[in-house]
Amino acid sequence: MSEEHKSADSNPPTNEPTSSDSNASSSVSASSVSSGKPRRNFLASILATVISAVLMLVPLVSGLLFFLDPILRKKGGDDGGSQNGGARKDDQGFIRLDVTIDALPADGAPQLVTVYDDIVDAWNKFIDQPIGTVWLRRMPNSQVIAFSTICPHLGCSVEHRQAEKDFFCPCHTSAFNLDGDRINMIPPRNMDTLEVKLKEETGQTIWLKYQEFRGAEEEKTPV
Amino acid sequence: MIRALDNWLDNRTGYKALLHEALYERVPGGARWRYVWGSTLVFTFMVQVITGIFLWAAYSPSTQTAWESVYYINNEMYLGNIVRGIHHFAAQAMVVLLAIHLVQVIIDGAYKAPREINFWIGLILMKIVLALSLTGYLLPWDQKGYYATQVTTKIIGATPVVGQQVQEIVQGGPKYGHHTLTRFFAMHAGILPGLLVVFLAIHIWVFRKHGLHVKDPDHAPETTFWPDQVLKDAVACLGVLAVILLLVFFKGAELSAPADPAEAYAAARPEWYFLFMFRFLKFELVEHFGLAFGALYVPGALFTFLVLMPIIALKKQGHAINVLFTLFMIGAIVWLTGLAMYEDKNNPDHQAAIAEAHRDAARIQELANRPEKIPVEGAVTLLREDPFTQGPRIFAKHCASCHFYNGHNGRGRILMESDPNDPSKKIPIQPTAADLGNFGSREWMRAAMIDYEQHFHTWTNASWYKEKSEEKDTEFLSPKPGESEMADWSKTHREMLTNPKNRKHLDGLVEFLAAQTGRKDLQIDEKLVEVGETLLSEYTLAEGELELSCTDCHDTLGGKFELTGDGSEIPDLAEYGSAKWLKAFISDPGTDQFYGSVNEMPAYKDKMTEREMDLLVRWLVKDYHPTEVVDYPVVEQNQNRPELTTQPAEQEPGGETTAANR
Repeated sequence: MSEEHKSADSNPPTNEPTSSDSNASSSVSASSVSSGKPRRNFLASILATVISAVLMLVPLVSGLLFFLDPILRKKGGDDGGSQNGGARKDDQGFIRLDVTIDALPADGAPQLVTVYDDIVDAWNKFIDQPIGTVWLRRMPNSQVIAFSTICPHLGCSVEHRQAEKDFFCPCHTSAFNLDGDRINMIPPRNMDTLEVKLKEETGQTIWLKYQEFRGAEEEKTPV
Repeated sequence: MIRALDNWLDNRTGYKALLHEALYERVPGGARWRYVWGSTLVFTFMVQVITGIFLWAAYSPSTQTAWESVYYINNEMYLGNIVRGIHHFAAQAMVVLLAIHLVQVIIDGAYKAPREINFWIGLILMKIVLALSLTGYLLPWDQKGYYATQVTTKIIGATPVVGQQVQEIVQGGPKYGHHTLTRFFAMHAGILPGLLVVFLAIHIWVFRKHGLHVKDPDHAPETTFWPDQVLKDAVACLGVLAVILLLVFFKGAELSAPADPAEAYAAARPEWYFLFMFRFLKFELVEHFGLAFGALYVPGALFTFLVLMPIIALKKQGHAINVLFTLFMIGAIVWLTGLAMYEDKNNPDHQAAIAEAHRDAARIQELANRPEKIPVEGAVTLLREDPFTQGPRIFAKHCASCHFYNGHNGRGRILMESDPNDPSKKIPIQPTAADLGNFGSREWMRAAMIDYEQHFHTWTNASWYKEKSEEKDTEFLSPKPGESEMADWSKTHREMLTNPKNRKHLDGLVEFLAAQTGRKDLQIDEKLVEVGETLLSEYTLAEGELELSCTDCHDTLGGKFELTGDGSEIPDLAEYGSAKWLKAFISDPGTDQFYGSVNEMPAYKDKMTEREMDLLVRWLVKDYHPTEVVDYPVVEQNQNRPELTTQPAEQEPGGETTAANR
């Protein structure tokens, strides 16, 4: 140790102490004892500052990047339940629901149906879990329309009011008619419809592309 | 403008005076490398706080998520292995730096009045740092941390009077569980760092009051902390950081298999800097006085001596005694640590246990990395249900008293027994049944055909074999193992089958038998199978003819296996080597469908659970998630393989032929 110390000590100031004097500023003037070597002091200050910065930046930057993992990491193919997976899902991402078209009321009254899929959550994968609900309506032409129950306003759950024959969100009183069109100006857009297709299996099964959309915007943008 | 703002800020806060106070401490005798140790400790602590807080944001303390979240940090998250690695190795660096700092303070006499209070505060800081290491070691909830910490909490429990209560409070109940983790985490990330900050502040404040302890003020002209000493401190910290990063990149923070209270962990050791304590407790003399003596009273007495050092130093020669004590302690710690490491290195059982721990650790990574991910019950269930992991353990438990697996007991260990000629010596136990390391493989099938007796030669070690060989009265006896019909067939057909011109036919026969296993890993060549199948019905090789085809005796060979329990005492070889066949065989090898009255192997249908049987069989037929893990070593066969005992002269041609074959 003492050897290193000596070598550091005997390191002569290479340049004449000139302009750096003023830059070294208070540190030099404050330490009267070292004022004989302002140049060396200046270099030491710079070096000490730089090294200290490196010392702190290494853990700080790596930690911060680690913290930014959700936006920095490239997602694997099976990350996120909606992309891939569940036994009920076809290759276009449609999920088979538990109801057939015959099970829906013929008068077109909305029916709340739970959607099941696999959920990938960090290190876990949950098989066939409820991932959300949708409102289904059977239309006269033997078609089915599906509405997301998530209110396009701020994401509360939209309810069906039988007496009023409308959809209604209890949070901020967004209201929609049974076709999903808004009947007050609280929601920014109509209810979000979801893609549905029918397949002839044992009866007409209903397949749904389950998506969630960003709230509080006029545009319908998938999350 | 900046100057004005600067002045305004100083006017309102007085920060300049504070800064001046902090930076322009006098350093009589000049900046020196020997003063850097305290600063490196502060630095490593800051590193721990920074990386610790970020790790906190990803860690989940519960028995079903702790290992899993650390696995996720290590393997999935961006720079996760680096941040965890820094935290892991900086913790160890801190202990080392702490030891250096303490020893330097003692040897230089910096603990003496008027600095004794600060010395005591330093000792408190040391305890806090050690407690941080200890609590942090458990948090990943892996086997290593789990079993090492078990020892520590048991020691806490051995404290007289209050031990039991303190232990329960610390671990959140009578046993380890969710609350052990939540409590350890609260201590590790909250209470202990909080205390450390408080005591560190006092430590530095008191240190400033008395100033540096300078041995020779005339060493160099007096300077100030900034920038000369700061520079040296910073360079030293940079060195520490470099060492930490090298370890992170070239070694990496380990994560062993998830904690499993039902799975003994023979490789359990404390973190290396506690090894001396571990070794000390292993002395029989220490053991004799009880756990509290070795683990509490002795360390307590030594620590008390440390605490008393400033008072001892008041006496004449007191400092010399302190230094001597310190040097003695260093010697003892180095010696004990070295001894523990040396003994472990030369202990084959411990080495095998470490190898197994690495095998499990690597395997769980493979299993957790599958698209199925980790079940909600926790990663530990993946290992519990994995044939590759459990098969060897079940084999070692139930099968290894007769069979070996690649020359060992299934788990890489060589079982030993006392040498009958010299009871003080230990010699490897000899297997008394076939080595199952390559059961059902092509090599197995080939050897069973062309070298039947040699393939099953380990029988010759068994007492039942020896008894039979010594029987004079042969009238009622079943054939001796060396002269069974199969052994005879093997002997008479060996030359023909190994004739190079018949190579394709032999290969075909082997392939046909291998195909019976239905194993996917063997990648069967269907064309060769056909060659073998044809040979069985047509008997004709390129040169020569089979006297008897396999199917002449094993008449179900090639068909579907059905468990009937009936037969002619000629083993039913339908689907031979498949999981189905093997399960039926192990369940009851003594039925007439298998060996009947000549069977010597116990029936396992009531000795093993359904689950154990399934895992064992799937392991033997290699039906599990494919692996690249370094498996248990293959122990050289001849190393422990007994010389085939030369049969006594009256012991007929069988023995001779075998000898000739070798």
